[in-house]
Amino acid sequence: MSGVENSASREPADALAAVAALRRLADQLEDAAVEQAMREGWNWPQVAEALGVTRQAVHKKHAKRLIEAGVELRRR
Amino acid sequence: MSSTFDHYLATIMEEGAREARQAGSATIEAEHLLLAVAAEGEATTRQVLVSAGLDHQAIREALDREFEHSLNAAGVSLGAFDLPRPSRAAKLPSQLGASARLVLERMVGTFRKKDLRPAHLLLGILQAEVGTVPRALTLAGVDRHALAAQARRTITGQDD
Repeated sequence: MSGVENSASREPADALAAVAALRRLADQLEDAAVEQAMREGWNWPQVAEALGVTRQAVHKKHAKRLIEAGVELRRR
Repeated sequence: MSSTFDHYLATIMEEGAREARQAGSATIEAEHLLLAVAAEGEATTRQVLVSAGLDHQAIREALDREFEHSLNAAGVSLGAFDLPRPSRAAKLPSQLGASARLVLERMVGTFRKKDLRPAHLLLGILQAEVGTVPRALTLAGVDRHALAAQARRTITGQDD
């Protein structure tokens, strides 16, 4: 990649890195927020609907971790 | 024989998986491999990293700074979120992410398998032109090309 040093071409690099960082932050927030909600008595369908994903998706992504953490999980 | 290197690589993958889990990442990425290489402390790679003032702690700080810096570019401040730290899965991530795959591809694509040493892995990590690792190193004031050249010299020295 030539010309990486000039500011005009640095902008896409910053924008792309921001996308990667935002995805990572979103994942971190999801882990924390889902755990907090389930600890406070939310159930899977509510969490799934709030996130805008299927309950299967949210269950697959978080159930094992939360069970290991000793969180009491409500199915419905 | 490459069995020593295979053993080294397995150790780095396991340590990289621990770094990934601690970072809350579902996959092992290039930055986790770099942290693992630094934590492992093998003599030749340590020599290269220390020449640029890098150890495990310094690399972690550089990666944290890159994360904040990249979020700031989108107008997001890390300090704005105040959620409790999530619990981590007991199981270590086992899948390599795209950036870690590229590290391995660069390594086996350039060198013969039987010649591989720890410094080759570090070189594969340092050769990334874009992505989290090069951005973190640049933000930390590290000359990545000079560091890669040093890793190459280490390799050449061993081959002679």
